[in-house]
Amino acid sequence: MSTPMLEIVNLHVRVEDKEILKGVNLSVPAGEVHAIMGRNGSGKSTLSYAIAGRDGYEITGGDIRLDGKSILDMEVDKRAAEGLFLAFQYPIEIPGVATMTFLKAAMNAQRKARGEDEMTIPEFMKAVQEAAKNLSIDKDMLKRALNVGFSGGEKKRAEMLQMTLLEPKMCILDETDSGLDIDALQVVSEGVNQLRAPNRSMLVITHYQRLLNHIVPDRVHVFSDGRIVESGGKELALELEAKGYANYEGAAGAV
Amino acid sequence: MSEQNALILTEAEQALVAQLNESGAKQMASDLSETGLPTRRVEAYHYTDLRMLLREVPQSFSQENLETQTAHCSFKIADAFEIDFDNGQISLVENAPFGVFVADQDGSSLSERKDILCDLNRAFTKKSLLVRLEGKVANIVHIKRSISGDARHVNSALMLDIAAGAEMVVLETFEGNEAAHLGNHATRVNLGAGAKFTHIVIEANSKRARHFHTMEYAIGENVTLRNLVVNSGAELSRVQMFGRFEGEGTHADLSGLNLVDDGQHCDITMDMTHAAENTTAEEMFKSVVRNRAKAIFQGRIVVDAVAQKTDAKMMAQGLMLSEGAQILAKPELEIFADDVQCGHGCTCGELDEDALFYLMSRGIGRQEAGALLIRAFIQELLDPIENEDVNLALSKIVSDWLEEGSTS
Ligand SMILES: Nc1ncnc2c1ncn2[C@@H]1O[C@H](COP(=O)(O)OP(=O)(O)O)[C@@H](O)[C@H]1O
Ligand SMILES: [Mg+2]
Repeated sequence: MSTPMLEIVNLHVRVEDKEILKGVNLSVPAGEVHAIMGRNGSGKSTLSYAIAGRDGYEITGGDIRLDGKSILDMEVDKRAAEGLFLAFQYPIEIPGVATMTFLKAAMNAQRKARGEDEMTIPEFMKAVQEAAKNLSIDKDMLKRALNVGFSGGEKKRAEMLQMTLLEPKMCILDETDSGLDIDALQVVSEGVNQLRAPNRSMLVITHYQRLLNHIVPDRVHVFSDGRIVESGGKELALELEAKGYANYEGAAGAV
Repeated sequence: MSEQNALILTEAEQALVAQLNESGAKQMASDLSETGLPTRRVEAYHYTDLRMLLREVPQSFSQENLETQTAHCSFKIADAFEIDFDNGQISLVENAPFGVFVADQDGSSLSERKDILCDLNRAFTKKSLLVRLEGKVANIVHIKRSISGDARHVNSALMLDIAAGAEMVVLETFEGNEAAHLGNHATRVNLGAGAKFTHIVIEANSKRARHFHTMEYAIGENVTLRNLVVNSGAELSRVQMFGRFEGEGTHADLSGLNLVDDGQHCDITMDMTHAAENTTAEEMFKSVVRNRAKAIFQGRIVVDAVAQKTDAKMMAQGLMLSEGAQILAKPELEIFADDVQCGHGCTCGELDEDALFYLMSRGIGRQEAGALLIRAFIQELLDPIENEDVNLALSKIVSDWLEEGSTS
């Protein structure tokens, strides 16, 4: 059996003395797209932050492996350089840091960490322009400070732009559909679908089924009270949409 | 027994008294031996207790003990008209560009302001450098003060006389070699009606230096004034900025940056008086402190009863990068007119954890992510400086400072 791209084993996470994740088990094989669906407050973002390595998300048990390697001891930037990418539910606004400066710093930092040469300016410009065009991001947006004054949709597209440029092998998309109108959803989904590749996996977090019409997952996992309570094929998303999460509330305690 | 009689002079005070006597300033010598240097009990020096902080005073500068030394200057601005002002000695330059007149004048350029640093500067300064600027001067005027040789106590004074309608950029830099110099400098600026003046002041002394600088602005009507003070080099520094808006219709953007590292104590003190109707000012002061060090900003805006329609906004922001870092800010408003808009704000914090996490999640290392955020914090002060070379020079100070931090 080949190594999964992302493997989460019995993960327990505490935030400010409160246990939020209570034994998450998940395996995403290379090239697959998995969806995590769950109510607000069930711990989906906590899972994504724990994987990314955010301070204050204390791992009290279990393991997270990226492409076979445990990443628990790695700093946040090291995990990114290893190919992890988290598209934030709420991208952070950073006044004073120009979007282009940031993109260049990120791309070059990852190259450096992998022992590759820095990009030349023309290479960089070309890469950004191509990716921006695909995501209908206009030049004006790129001239602004990072995420500052971006609309909800623009922020999500900017996340997709970063994801495209950084070429990660494991993408986590946290509620990328929130704040998007139908057209933007279309654009973003197409962007994501174009990135699907045999050596790239994705974990798409959402609480609406809507996104999964556009980004069709290989597997769907239902998240409740800090763990996965049910897994199935893409039809599970439709079932959830019809029946709601209520059925799974009890299940959380039982597993 | 009165407190004054009981005062035992510190080593620094004794040296100053002796030097004052030597230079013929008997009255000042006797005053100083009675009062001593200001302590924290003197309000204006509450955060910068000179009696405690100024531990010794090196020998006073005199022409005799000057060996030939190469002056320090790390700032080179293309096409600038440079005036060297080394060790407080005035060397009159020729070939000044059109509209620039250089001369000297007797005594200090400072007003009669009651303040210990001003008093000392007036007592010690025999001659001031006078620079008069007329018309539109395309070249930047760069006045380079530096102190060289063994540790010295140097006083210097500059008078900038900006004619009505003149337009120019003046850069002042303060540097020195590694010795424990004490510099007490002055700059007085007279701004004629309608002048457009940008004044950049960079304190980039070596770490062992002690640096005091008093600036006085007399601002005429319809002036556009922009200044930026960068205070970064010396172990102890206090830059004082006093100003009076004396004519209507003037706008001033005043700003300063304390860029402070281990062991440093840097103070920017601003005191602006609006004494005419309809003047506006935006004051923005920032401090970035790394390791065990202290940055101080005191800002006072006074609005006289006649100064209706004054609009003055003062902001102090601080960024503390380490546990032992201290930032003290004291903004004050004294308003005697009723139809004014004045305000002040003050924020102080550490690097934003959310922003750091976001940047790092894209593969940017902690150090570099921090540097990006610190630079972003400072950038607001540098952005309005239109001259590209000056902007680059300022940018380099910040980069060098960030670089130093990454190796320590
Ligand atoms: N920084 C935090 N401090 C305290 N509690 C938190 C923090 N972040 C999340 N939580 C709590 O953790 C639980 C899960 O939140 P979250 O992971 O954001 O859920 P979801 O993304 O599924 O909506 C919630 O009860 C929330 O209140
Ligand atoms: Mg969430």
